[in-house]
This record gives sequence, structure tokens and C-alpha cells, in this order.
Amino acid sequence: MRLLWSLCRKCLLFSASLLILSLAVFYAARLAPGDPLASYYGDRVERMSADERARAEERLGLHEPIHTQYLRWLGGALKGEFGISFKYKTDVLDVISGRLVNTLLLGGGSLLLIFLLALPLGVFCVRFEDRWPDRLLCRLGAAVSCVPEFWLSLALILLFSVTLRLFPSSGAGQGTLDRLWHLVLPLSAVTAGHLWYAVFLVRGRLLEEVRMEYVLLAKSKGLSKACILFRHCLRNILPSYLSLMAVFAPHILGGTYVVEMVFSYPGLGALSYESARYRDYNLLMLLCILTGGAVMLFGMLAQVLGELLDPRLKREGDSHG
Amino acid sequence: MGNLLEIRNLSVSFDTPEGEIQAVRNVSFALREGEILAIVGESGCGKSVLCKSILKLLPDIARIKQGQILLENTDITQYRDADMRRLRGRVFSMVLQDPMTALNPAMTIGAQIEEAVGVHQKTTRNARRDRMRELLTLVGLRETDAGRFPHHLSGGQRQRAVLAAALAGNPKILFADEPTTALDVTIQAQILDLLRDIQRKLHTAMILVSHDLGVVARAADRVAVMYAGKIVEIGAAEDIFCDPRHPYTWGLLQSLPAFASPDSPLYAIPGMPPSLIDPPPGDAFACRNPYALEIDYREEPPMFAVSPDHFAATWLLDPRAPSVTPPFCHD
Repeated sequence: MRLLWSLCRKCLLFSASLLILSLAVFYAARLAPGDPLASYYGDRVERMSADERARAEERLGLHEPIHTQYLRWLGGALKGEFGISFKYKTDVLDVISGRLVNTLLLGGGSLLLIFLLALPLGVFCVRFEDRWPDRLLCRLGAAVSCVPEFWLSLALILLFSVTLRLFPSSGAGQGTLDRLWHLVLPLSAVTAGHLWYAVFLVRGRLLEEVRMEYVLLAKSKGLSKACILFRHCLRNILPSYLSLMAVFAPHILGGTYVVEMVFSYPGLGALSYESARYRDYNLLMLLCILTGGAVMLFGMLAQVLGELLDPRLKREGDSHG
Repeated sequence: MGNLLEIRNLSVSFDTPEGEIQAVRNVSFALREGEILAIVGESGCGKSVLCKSILKLLPDIARIKQGQILLENTDITQYRDADMRRLRGRVFSMVLQDPMTALNPAMTIGAQIEEAVGVHQKTTRNARRDRMRELLTLVGLRETDAGRFPHHLSGGQRQRAVLAAALAGNPKILFADEPTTALDVTIQAQILDLLRDIQRKLHTAMILVSHDLGVVARAADRVAVMYAGKIVEIGAAEDIFCDPRHPYTWGLLQSLPAFASPDSPLYAIPGMPPSLIDPPPGDAFACRNPYALEIDYREEPPMFAVSPDHFAATWLLDPRAPSVTPPFCHD
């Protein structure tokens, strides 16, 4: 019963947040300068008379006041109709569906890689705290994390596609193997760009944790260092690690946007950029809702996981079973 | 009764950027089987460091400069972490000052006690559970408390849980580092009585570190008074409380509210403890000592035997010293 209630509350919160997000983006996009007709009609816009323009706007539903437009958009969105893309002149869902997989592969892949790599690397640093493996890794990380992603991408292209001719420099490829092949470089760029923040955060949190008093008690009980590190300390930082990953998810999404541009990788990143640039309102709305929804979903996921792992995070009312 | 633990001329220093902090300086004492030895002194006099250096729980910047730690006549001074691990929990164990932070907040206390049970004996889960429940009862918790998290318990209950975890391996020596300092006065007495109780039941020897002579009087068999990293007086509790010989012990006893007369302000030892980075020559207490002799500023007093079991490091005990009357006499 309580579970159901908390689930309902989370759903409500999620919907409300999405509503506010959509409202904000809708208004911001339409109040910003720029001509949406240009993306639909291309160069022809410049030759249109005022009369023709008015009719064109009416056809695209841009003549009404913003709040009416918003309500109409909302009504459609609730039924799953997000309108047409001005630029591609088809349903925005069709425009996105082809590219969504690519971005999910790139973003999800690097998130997974970072998730799997950051924890062991952080633990490794703590295990060898202030000895040469730790120092080496920290220096390396500091250097790599300072390199901007687009530069890193270019360097990777130069080294692996131009000089060594190992990996393709652009596109997404056809078929499973070819796709994976095309994914290697962009994936490396996104992962390398974000991995070190995560490693440093794990290292910092873990170092804080191993200095806690309970570690002394655990030691005086006769537990081994590794046992204390894994069973006590690691477990206690897992909730913050998961929330960290949830916070990271949107960053990585942003990272994929930049890297996608450099590698001409057909994903949502390039599409978002275009839609914002050419005032492709419907496409922009859908992309924002998708991205925002993903961010919020990750946040809630982190919260739920955190509660399961750390009993202190639970609201007092829930904790006494 | 044999000596369970013997410390010989132990010195422990911390290497810091400001210099070498001599936290423990040339300390010797012995712990007998089944007794409670209290170590008293002001904050920062090296009591905790002394305990943790025996358990080897100090951070890396601390090092044992000289001396020996003999555990049942075996020298464990050079033991490394792996060797110490076999001793910790089984031979000696520790109760920490602050029960709020001494337990892992994300594990039930039952799990934490069970874990301590499992360190030294590989038994079945059920056997460990039974032992865990037994320990809970021993320290005065309910068996149903096993499933609770530290934040569900009060300070006193947590200290009991810490004690249960510390006793899990049936240690011969229990180090209690200010076990009651973080607790309410009413709870302090309960925990002290519990420690006493356990010492009687299990015949566990204890080293009780405290700055509170009241706590010590309630529990200890023998008392060691520490000042500026040294033991200045050691003897049976009756000797220390009824026949103290070191001016610092006099000062400590004088500062107890119980000994104050109702119409005069509470006594306080004048001055501050010396810096342990560069301790003064001679008796470190000399500059705060109204009975200081000239030699106190030049030469360190040796341990004078008052009786076979009572020693004090003060020149006042030298046959050539003028006789002084302690500032108070009580019987």
C-alpha cells in the first residue's frame, strides 16, 4: 500500500515536472528570435509577400497566441501526436526513431563503460593511496579530463582513422558489426571525457569513508583491509555512486551531442542542434521532452536505488518496518 | 597472576610538517590478567595514541620510535598488518569514544556483530546468529535489536552494540578509549557497571582510557596517570586516590568537584600542557607545578618506587628532597 502510494507520488511529480519543462521550452523557443517558416519553406520565404506569409503561418498553426498553441500542442502530445517537423516535413516521431537508437548506443554505451570503469579505478586509487599507482592515475586523469571533447575526438580521428586507418572517422555504419566498428571512436571520446570526474568522485568519497571511525572498529574486530573496503566502505558509497551516475547521465548525453557533431554521427545530438538552430519547434519540443524525461527518470532511479541501499535516506515514516 | 601485556620504554611519534610530535614518550607498564587498568590524563596527553599504537591502528604518519610491546611474552612490536589481524578481535579488541560514528550506519547492528563473530571462527550461519544473540543479551540489549540500524538506537544502546562487537572474538584484552565520554552522565554509570560486570563474568582484562577520575574510581583496579606523553604515576586505585605522590595527580584530584569545598571555587591546574613537538627538558609538569624543585627544570625524574606496586616520577620522592604535604588529605 505504502509502496503504491510512493509510486503514485513519484509519477505525479514526474508528470508535473515534465509539464513545467514543456511549458518553459515552448515559451522560450517561441519568444526567441528566428523564423520557423525558413526551415519549412527554405529560401522561398525571402520571396513571400506578407499575405503569403500570413497564410503559411496559419497553415503551420503559428498565427495563434502562444498559450493557445501550447494547449493545442499539449492536447496532441497527450494523444501521442507531436506534430510534424518543419524541416523534414514528416511526423517528428519518424524523424527521431531512426536516430534514437544511435544516440542510445553511444550515450548508453559510454554511461555503462564509465559506470563499470570508474568504480574499480577509484577503488584501485584508494587501495594504493598516495603511492605511485594512485599518483600516476590521478595525474593522467587530471590531464585527460582537461582536454575538451571535440579536441579529443579530433585527436582520435587523426591518430586512429587518418594515420593508423584502424577505425572509420564518420557515420554510423550498416549491420551490427559495422555499427560497433563505427562506434569505437566516438564511444572512446565520450567515455574518456567523463570517466575521470567519476573516478575522482569515487576516490574522494571512498577516502572520506575509510577515515570514518567505524573503520577503526571494524579493524579492531580483526577484519581485513580488503573486507572493510568492500563490505563496509564501498557499500556505503554505492548510493552516492548511483546518484552520481544519474547526475552524469545528462552530462554524457550532452557530451554525445558534441562528439556526434565531430564524427558526423547521425544521432539526436546533431538533430537537436539543427532543430534549435532552424526553429523546428515540434522537433525541438519532442527532443527536450525526451532528454528532460530521461534526466528526471535517472534522478528518480538514483533515489529509489539509494533508499534501498542506505536505510538512512528513507523517510522516517517508511523506515520502521 | 602473569603479565598479559607488557609495554617497555615505548615511544611513539608523529611525523608532521611542523615537526615530530612525541605523543608517547618512554612509557612502560604491564597489564595483568583480568584486571582493569585505567589510563588518565588531560586531552592530548597521549592516552589514546598509546592504546592505538598497541593495536597498531594509528595512521601511517605515526611510528614506534623505540620500545617493545610484549603480548604474553611474545614481542609483537614489529608485527605487520597481516599478523596484527590475527590478534585483533581474538586477543585484543577496542571500544571507541563516540558510539555515534563507531558503527557502520548502513548495516544492522546484528550484521555488524555477526561479522565480528565470523572473523576468527568459520562456523555456520546459525551458530553465528546464536552467538550474536548471546552477545546482545550479554551487553543488555534485546535480541530483537539485532535487526535495527544504528540510527534507531540511543547513544547508550549503540555503545552496548559496539561492546558486543568488540567482545565477539572473546578477546583477552579490551581497550576502552573514553567509552563513556560521549554519553549522558546517567548512561555513563550504566556502561561502566556493564564493563565491570563483563570483566567479572568473562575475566577480560581492560585498559580504560579516560580523562575523568570519577569514571576511573568507579571501575579501575589500577590507575596510570599520564602527562605530556609519559606515565607520571602508576599504582593500585586505592594508592592513587588515597596516597597520591605526584603533584600532577594531586592537581587532578583537587580539580574533582567531589573534593571541592562548597564555599570555594573549583580548583583548576594553572597553565597549559606543554607542546609535544618540542617538550621541555626535565619534568614536563614543572612549570605548572607549585612544588617544583630546581632540578625539575633540568633533569627528568626517574620512577621512584613508593611501594612494590606504586611508582611515581617526581623528584619529591628523592631522599634529598624537602618533604612537602599534599594540598589535601582525606581518608
